[in-house]
Amino acid sequence: MVDAARQPLIEVKTFTEVEKVEGYVGNFVVTLREKAKYVRADRCNGCGACTKACPVEIPNYFEMNLAPRKAAYIPMSQAVPLIYNIDMDACIHCYKCVEACGALEAIDFSMEDKLVEQEIGAIIVATGFGHFDPSPMTEYGFGRFPNVITAMEMERLNNSAGPTHGALIRPSDGKSPKHIAIINCVGSRDKRYNTSCSNFCCMYAIKNALLIKQMHPDTEISIYYIDIRTPSKGYEEFYDRARESGIRFIQGRPSEITEDPDTHQLFISSEDITLGKVIEREYDMVMLNQAAIPQPDQNHMSSVLNVAQSPGGWFMEYHPKLRPMDSPTDGIFFAGACQGPKDIPASVAQGSAAASRASRILHSDSWQIEPTVAVVWPDRCVSAKGQACGICARACPYGAIDYTKGLAAEVITAKCHGCGACVGECPHDSITQLHFTDAQVLAQIRTLLAVEPEKKILAFRCQWCSYGGADLAGTSHFEYSANERGLRVMCSARMDADLIYEAYRLGAGAILYSGCHPQDCHYITGQIAGAKRAARLEKMFERLQMSPGRFRIEWISAAEGDKYARVINEMQASLDAIPEDVLKAEIERLKPEMAKKLTKLGDIPGVAQALVQVDFIVDEMLGKAVPV
Amino acid sequence: MSNVIDPNALAERVKAIPGGDMLMMCYSCGTCTSKCMIQTKLESSYNPRRLIREAVFNMDDDAFSDKTTWLCTACDLCYPACPQKIHISGVINAVKALAVESGKKTPYQVARVDESTCVACGLCEKICPYEAIILVEKRVPFRGTITVASVDAGKCMACGMCTAACRSTSIRLVDDYNDAEMIDTLWSWLGTERVSS
Repeated sequence: MVDAARQPLIEVKTFTEVEKVEGYVGNFVVTLREKAKYVRADRCNGCGACTKACPVEIPNYFEMNLAPRKAAYIPMSQAVPLIYNIDMDACIHCYKCVEACGALEAIDFSMEDKLVEQEIGAIIVATGFGHFDPSPMTEYGFGRFPNVITAMEMERLNNSAGPTHGALIRPSDGKSPKHIAIINCVGSRDKRYNTSCSNFCCMYAIKNALLIKQMHPDTEISIYYIDIRTPSKGYEEFYDRARESGIRFIQGRPSEITEDPDTHQLFISSEDITLGKVIEREYDMVMLNQAAIPQPDQNHMSSVLNVAQSPGGWFMEYHPKLRPMDSPTDGIFFAGACQGPKDIPASVAQGSAAASRASRILHSDSWQIEPTVAVVWPDRCVSAKGQACGICARACPYGAIDYTKGLAAEVITAKCHGCGACVGECPHDSITQLHFTDAQVLAQIRTLLAVEPEKKILAFRCQWCSYGGADLAGTSHFEYSANERGLRVMCSARMDADLIYEAYRLGAGAILYSGCHPQDCHYITGQIAGAKRAARLEKMFERLQMSPGRFRIEWISAAEGDKYARVINEMQASLDAIPEDVLKAEIERLKPEMAKKLTKLGDIPGVAQALVQVDFIVDEMLGKAVPV
Repeated sequence: MSNVIDPNALAERVKAIPGGDMLMMCYSCGTCTSKCMIQTKLESSYNPRRLIREAVFNMDDDAFSDKTTWLCTACDLCYPACPQKIHISGVINAVKALAVESGKKTPYQVARVDESTCVACGLCEKICPYEAIILVEKRVPFRGTITVASVDAGKCMACGMCTAACRSTSIRLVDDYNDAEMIDTLWSWLGTERVSS
């Protein structure tokens, strides 16, 4: 921290909140609220005379409320910058600090919060995690039994700079505990509170146990666990060291802690799973290894930064495996536990990765994006004609579309990732996607269904998963029906209902609607939009009494080549099961139904010309060309 | 690459019964076992966690003869304690239903109806917390075909509510806790010999 503060190119802004983030990659405008410290940074020399003079004492948050602090304070002794701060909520306005400060005149009660706007190229979010409060878990008695403490309280008790100067004492009587229990997974891996594993607590429990054991070798320590997770380098060895030093590991989640009200001794009842027996043991002190949870204001930060949250509330990364340090919004990066609980090595690695990603932006004059961005035809957008709409803005997983009623929707190109969800959703065909325009995709459909369309299986595949799955099926030589005709779009969200109708109008035998598994979607929520639309279509085709198997929805990952081949073969089988005349009659019956939904298709810019040209080319290829 | 699941496997049959559907979610933390009053106060070989394991691994015989299957009273102390939100008594009940279906009987006593005096008033049917009693029509020696109460041995937990409710002393627990024995116990607590009337 001190090094960072001394580096001339780094400006450390403490006690400052982010109020608003506007703009896009390389061009963010961030509004910061610099909160009033009531001590002038340019005059305070960090002597601490104000703290000594201050008569107010309130619980010290940094010491987990185990020690007091003054209303004139620094949050911790290593605080950077070393500038004191007056807590106005606690201050009684006795002005003793002003007297103590004397000629320095650093204390200024007239200070106010300042709003500052700053131009920012890239943002790294490193807001960390919060701690689960175990008091709702009444079975463990936290808050009721004085000797049941949390991991963070243990951290302060065990710290030489802490309230007890490193003396490990139990809160009820100040005696040093001889039998200590550590309970893991308090509030984590628990569907009632936080479903996920908090990642580092197993190691943290072992660390604390070893630390206590080193300082007080006569202490007996037991760790209650469900599973001990030591996945990283050197962790298992550390676990071994703990066993060697005599720390007892008990597999079994305690169901209850009871207390002797006179002696405040604690009794833990748990099943020892390896024995299959319930055991009850007595302890002087119990440490609850509480879950790591998102910061209490994580939701607020998520809306300020316009980055989504994963289930559980953590900030959502661009891709869990390939881009864990990137947010879905270009120019915003994550470092550390704000993106998900992680330990120090992982946080450092992610922080360094985020820094190098950010510097890439700061060192370039231009920013490359995917060329498949969305474009609005302002003259077709109904919003420009005064109608309320905004469907495209709601469909966009990246918040890249500005919608104001009365104005045509506008795509912020730097934010667009090119999934095509807006194009698929727009009911007025007023928005298109470069390289995947309606004209281009319709032309492909025409070509693919030019000959014997009733025998064809038209497969809509998304670029990242099901197209990859089909590719793998090919390279792995999995045999599947030769009647399949594949068509690539970026995301299942782009698979516009019009495209499906048109394919059936042209007489397609069967259609496969395929994309990523929901959790694998490369466009955050694109697959969800696609899946909703597909379900709607399926219902409609059922109502139109389409034979079963002619419309199929499948989510196929790039690794599921065998599944792709199997699905196509099953579709071929169900198509074969329909007698030819029945199928032909059904196609003819449905053609006018489909055409009814497509009356405006020709109005879309470029479509009419494209279809004339593609018909000409196809006819020529088939030798049916009529000289123009 | 076949991944066929045998629908007749115990785990699948348990999952098919409402209440047993969360079976596979158990990660064996043992909270239920140490929370259980039957386990801690009555029967140390009682272990809901182990029963779930037995069901998961399709160990029909072990599961059906496990004391856990027959002793659970569905008090549901374990349910709010389970970090995986498994309705454990639901799973145990599902295993019990399957045990009964396969012809297994509880090794513990159940309430028994004295058909020669039962008047089919239905009080016991209403009061039974385990829905173990129904009224059935059957041939009873010397009484002809009449309606009497009938106890489902698979469901009865021998709590004795029916015995207390019955006005004609026609339903009771046979081995322990019969009326005479309980009255004797009461007298002995009072410190006097029972005065025979």
